[in-house]
Amino acid sequence: MPVAATIRSLGRAGLFSLSVLRASRPTADFLAELVREIYKIGARSLPIIAVGGAFVGLSLTLLGYRALETYGASNQVSILVGLGLYRELAPVLTALLFVGRAGSSIAAELGLMRATDQITALGLMAIDPVAKAVAPRFWAAVITLPLLVAFFASFAIAASWFQGVQVLGIDNGMFWQAMKDAVDFHDDFATSFVKAAVFGGTAALVASYVGYHAEPTIEGTSVATTRAVVNASLLVLMFNFVLSAFLFR
Amino acid sequence: MASRGPRLEFAVGAFLLLALASLLVLAIASTNGRFGFGRDTYSLTARFTNLGQLRPNAPVKIGGVTVGRVEKIELDPVKFDSVVTLAIDGRFRELDADTSASIQTAGLLGESYVALQPGGNPELLQPGDEIVFTQPAVDLIQMVGQYMFSGGGNNAPADDAAAPAASPADEEGTTP
Amino acid sequence: MTEHDAIAVRLSGVRLDRGERTILSGLDLAVPRGSITAVLGPSGSGKSTLLSALTGELVPAAGTVEVFGRPVPRRQRELLELRKSIGVLLQGNGLLTDLTVAENVALPLRMHTRLPRAVVDRLVEMKLHAVGLRAAADLFPRELSGGMARRVALARAIALDPPLMLYDEPLTGLDPIASGVIMNLISELNDNLGLTSIIVTHHVHETLPVADRAIVIANGGIVFSGTPAELEASDDPLVRQFLRGEPDGPIAFDRAPRTEAA
Repeated sequence: MPVAATIRSLGRAGLFSLSVLRASRPTADFLAELVREIYKIGARSLPIIAVGGAFVGLSLTLLGYRALETYGASNQVSILVGLGLYRELAPVLTALLFVGRAGSSIAAELGLMRATDQITALGLMAIDPVAKAVAPRFWAAVITLPLLVAFFASFAIAASWFQGVQVLGIDNGMFWQAMKDAVDFHDDFATSFVKAAVFGGTAALVASYVGYHAEPTIEGTSVATTRAVVNASLLVLMFNFVLSAFLFR
Repeated sequence: MASRGPRLEFAVGAFLLLALASLLVLAIASTNGRFGFGRDTYSLTARFTNLGQLRPNAPVKIGGVTVGRVEKIELDPVKFDSVVTLAIDGRFRELDADTSASIQTAGLLGESYVALQPGGNPELLQPGDEIVFTQPAVDLIQMVGQYMFSGGGNNAPADDAAAPAASPADEEGTTP
Repeated sequence: MTEHDAIAVRLSGVRLDRGERTILSGLDLAVPRGSITAVLGPSGSGKSTLLSALTGELVPAAGTVEVFGRPVPRRQRELLELRKSIGVLLQGNGLLTDLTVAENVALPLRMHTRLPRAVVDRLVEMKLHAVGLRAAADLFPRELSGGMARRVALARAIALDPPLMLYDEPLTGLDPIASGVIMNLISELNDNLGLTSIIVTHHVHETLPVADRAIVIANGGIVFSGTPAELEASDDPLVRQFLRGEPDGPIAFDRAPRTEAA
């Protein structure tokens, strides 16, 4: 029965997530792996995040300007940009870009480790493979995604400023003041990063679970990578709705 | 990681530093900077017959400067007016007992906020006191409807809410 | 207890199942300490499954598996202790791609001992020297040839000086010279370090010269157990087919397809 199989699969994924948390210990070895993973999934994701953020900022400003022209409020487009970015676009889009770049690489790496007997070898050396290979990636994602969201937002707002003030002629002071009045530190800014941390953890757990349990073949690794991206993306969108519903009363 | 060690660590350190710096810049440049407003505040209450669009967390302003926010809105089950609890920043403890509170809107379609106008009473409002002088929100649509259908002059069927709302509105000028 | 001391690994009436299928049954085997035992047989016959039973990855469906006189534990803590005293060389090498050769070999030492950094480095040097790869210490696994990678994996497997070494198809993908080097190493290490070695392989002719004992696994069980000389002299048609590499005989060529009992 497919329903029962899905529920069991969900259960296995849940237990796996628990084991990842239990295996997280701040030893020197763990920290070294953590630093390495932050570089691989964080620093290396920077270009795509920066470019993505810039283009989103440009498009959003253009769209918002046109939409608000009808009410004569087009010089307040920065409110739309600020709220739109922090509440939804920055965490979600950054997370999806992250899933595509870092999520797929986590799944592929773990799948490859499975296929080349690295995971088995660790187990036979009495080293917990989850502690060594999965936990550092999980925490790296939780730490990194909020930072990437900060980059995304910076580039988006900078691009928005360029589009709004330099190209569309909005007053510079108005641009910043309207945004500052509208964006609440707790409700909008901080929640953006809370969302990001949740998304990062989710993406890492999904990608790790799928990669870790991949079939130990080349095909298996490829299938795992695709599944990781699809499932993680869907979960991010799902959790985004849940979090928005809870955080924005 | 023997030879890549220092380079790797430098790259990660730079990444973290840049990210935290951009976080700081964003927080200052793009948000309202209300970091911990829940700290040193005290409460005042005020009763209104009409709230308009006032919601919890709406700002409380004196002369256009934000001094607090709306903490709670409750309906009095006996008198059927709304009791609004205001959380005022602890820096502004010297509001006198004749302070009046009114509900304004920021722009025609903007959010509602509570505007406080100091009076001249030497006695001060203590935490927990109720602001006595209040004015309800002006219902713009109702006003417009009345002027449209009453042909521009005063009219008999004008109800209680409209008449006292109309005259102070005339005296003070329309809402900003 | 003296009998136990002389026997490193003992299987009694062991049956190994994977899921619903029985891979091997009726296994009775005694591996003396200090010996090199070759486990031979066609692909898919369940040789690697036998190794899984020794490392505790697979729990026997029937019978007992004893390593160093005690049954293979099922509880996590004791199993981990056992695994520290068994060195395993896997087919895929299992070298961690993000670490250098030296860091790979150092891994078990850093994880399971509290030796100071300098001592660990020295030990790593020694192990690499034993396999002739001291110069490769700072290379990454992707920069190594097949034979070199296999030797590094061997160095890592002996890092903690385990009394028992298990080799799962150690000659896969190696050219004749590299094969010779590996078999030589296995033999030397076994004698110099006083190890007990079990080699699972289908490379009969490279392995028999170094082995003290040989067993053949086919058709779900052990079909031969004895010395290499006895193996070569055997009349059993199954053994002869295997030794001569004949496509048809007691071990059928075209069977119903089944998954690899790896």
